[in-house]
Amino acid sequence: MHSSHSSSSLNKLLSQRPDLWRGRRQPRGRALPSGRADLDRWLPDQGWPSGRLTELMPACLGLGELGLLLPVMAQQTRIARPVILITPPWIPCPQRLARAGVALDQLIVVRDAHHGFWAAEQGLKSGLCGLIMLWPPRGRVSERSVRRLQLAAEKGPAPAFICYRPDQSAPPSLAALRLAIHPGPSLEMLRGGAPHHERFHLGRSNVIAWPGTRRAPRLLSEITRDDPTVSIARSRQSAAQPEPCP
Amino acid sequence: MSQSSQLWAGLHCPALPLMAVWQLSSIAGPLAVHDSMRGQARLLQVNALARQHGAQPGQSLSQALAVLPHLQSRSRCRQSESRILEQMALLAYQHSHQVSLAPPDTVLLEVGGSRRLRGGLRPLLEELRDEALGSGLQLRIGLAPAASAACLLARHDLRVSDPAAMKTAIGGLAIDHLVLKSDQRKAIRDCSLRQVAELTALPRAERARRFGADLNHYLDELHGHLSTPLAQWQPPEVFGLRLELPVPTVRSDALMFVFNRALDTLRRWLEVRDQGLTRLQVRLEREDGGPDNAFDIGLARPGFDQDRLLELIQLKLDGLKLAGDVDAVKLDADSTAERRPAQSDLLDGTNRSDAWPALLDRLSARLGESGLSSLAPAQDHRPEHAWTWVPPGTSAPCRDRRPRPSWLLPAPRPCRREYLALEEGPERIESGWWDGQDCLRDYWIARDGKGRQLWVFQEHQPRHGWFIHGLFG
Repeated sequence: MHSSHSSSSLNKLLSQRPDLWRGRRQPRGRALPSGRADLDRWLPDQGWPSGRLTELMPACLGLGELGLLLPVMAQQTRIARPVILITPPWIPCPQRLARAGVALDQLIVVRDAHHGFWAAEQGLKSGLCGLIMLWPPRGRVSERSVRRLQLAAEKGPAPAFICYRPDQSAPPSLAALRLAIHPGPSLEMLRGGAPHHERFHLGRSNVIAWPGTRRAPRLLSEITRDDPTVSIARSRQSAAQPEPCP
Repeated sequence: MSQSSQLWAGLHCPALPLMAVWQLSSIAGPLAVHDSMRGQARLLQVNALARQHGAQPGQSLSQALAVLPHLQSRSRCRQSESRILEQMALLAYQHSHQVSLAPPDTVLLEVGGSRRLRGGLRPLLEELRDEALGSGLQLRIGLAPAASAACLLARHDLRVSDPAAMKTAIGGLAIDHLVLKSDQRKAIRDCSLRQVAELTALPRAERARRFGADLNHYLDELHGHLSTPLAQWQPPEVFGLRLELPVPTVRSDALMFVFNRALDTLRRWLEVRDQGLTRLQVRLEREDGGPDNAFDIGLARPGFDQDRLLELIQLKLDGLKLAGDVDAVKLDADSTAERRPAQSDLLDGTNRSDAWPALLDRLSARLGESGLSSLAPAQDHRPEHAWTWVPPGTSAPCRDRRPRPSWLLPAPRPCRREYLALEEGPERIESGWWDGQDCLRDYWIARDGKGRQLWVFQEHQPRHGWFIHGLFG
């Protein structure tokens, strides 16, 4: 316990020295900005690994895995790099996506559970997509399909994400990054970073967009104050009419 | 328009009856086509391999099978022959808009206008020959200033471009090659005339007296002194093609061979009508009379890319469970005159604008139309009706700025109030009276036992109770 504490503070000290070369650090790959500067600093390649696979392991589905990626989805769809969501567990809300800045006509949802991995591979190999996220169907996920996904990801620039269900175990893979999502929500790096990396707290701002407590609905237009995607949303909104009260 | 500036090419398919029954097959064995002559099946044409092994036209089928037991022969199909003739006409129409059929086995096209285009006639005729060969048709090509002569010279693969050379070429042919009535033919033979030149050397009046006045008329047409009345051929308005397979099969490679041939024809049709394909309807007819298998291929963008379509058809075939042999394939095409040319991406130079629709087509070929969608907001105050699936890439932008969770459940799910810790709210939603769905709800953000933030509501009417509607996550 004591030793782990001291080594984590040592890590912290070492990380403050940019002039110090550390042998354990993996070679830095290409990465896409996550849309949050603090998250970029925390991620090993200063963003989402592009052309590689990232595994997300939320403690339960709906804990923040989609919200986490909304900024990068917005950024990619606006430069006409389509995003493909494959067999998501529920319906991604178009209003929420649009408000985060995602161009809806650049967002494709694959709903056929039998061919999810195939569709992901096609999208990745095409080199056209901006981001691909796959929720594997219930049951065991085969090592071979994840391996194929990883190889397909290397064919193009898109970051690829696979999000496991809590009852699914990730097969051995060569994914660049493996993140656990804990309630909070917070991120824990299971693979890809330094061994004693601290958890990253997403904070409620990342997953929520809501007016202050018990405010009347007429103030709904003020809600986006602490939304990280608000800068995009607001620039889109500037020309739009204020929302009529429901 | 002086008639002398006209120049006609004749496309003649010598092995038309044989091709008509075997064009759609990739079989490499000895093949033949037979016809019933005086109540007996006799070989009409044979391929080179069958000839090598002793099969000959005119032989009775039973005799030929005795000599060559693995000879495959099908009975003559005049319907397929006229289909191939139409196919040849379509091929010709790509190069000339003056095309006529000269049944049973020749197509005529006027090429005088193309003489100075594309580096002359020779490359044009070579191109025609190569394209036909690509569709499995071996052609003989004739060329003459008169349509009738072009038709005749095509049988001998002779090409002339001025009247004097035409006269010589026709004169050198045997009289047997002229299209004559049997009594005329007999009368000429009785005079021991052999070559056309000998016939034309006779005085006109003499010819008319001996062989009938219509022979002079025919010779005048051949030499271009009289023009031959020709019916202009036009490509059909809509594309529909039904191809019978020489050998019924479930094998996907044999079916793909047929599709490749069919797409050749479709491509030509689209080109001459200047159309882009939007949807291809395919029907596979079963030999045993079982239910047909059918599938549609929709294209995200009007156009035609044969390799891509073949890939899409292959994907569809892979997904089909064919319960019996297929003996015919039917293709119908929806098309549009709107053809957007492919654009190149300014940034990376790749053909992105074309590649993306291609990817969508490939995905939807396997996933089906309901397996691949985009999301769009819908105009409704009730959140469960405020979204809809739309075809990929067709979402309208969304102007609704009210806070919504990332996930919506397909339908609100009842829940127990005591499992929820309410955090923020409420947002009142009251609507739907106009379609008899009126409701009154208060939406809240709540947290469940797993630490997830939920979008829940308390309904006051028509039901009472608490429901989970979405998740922030």
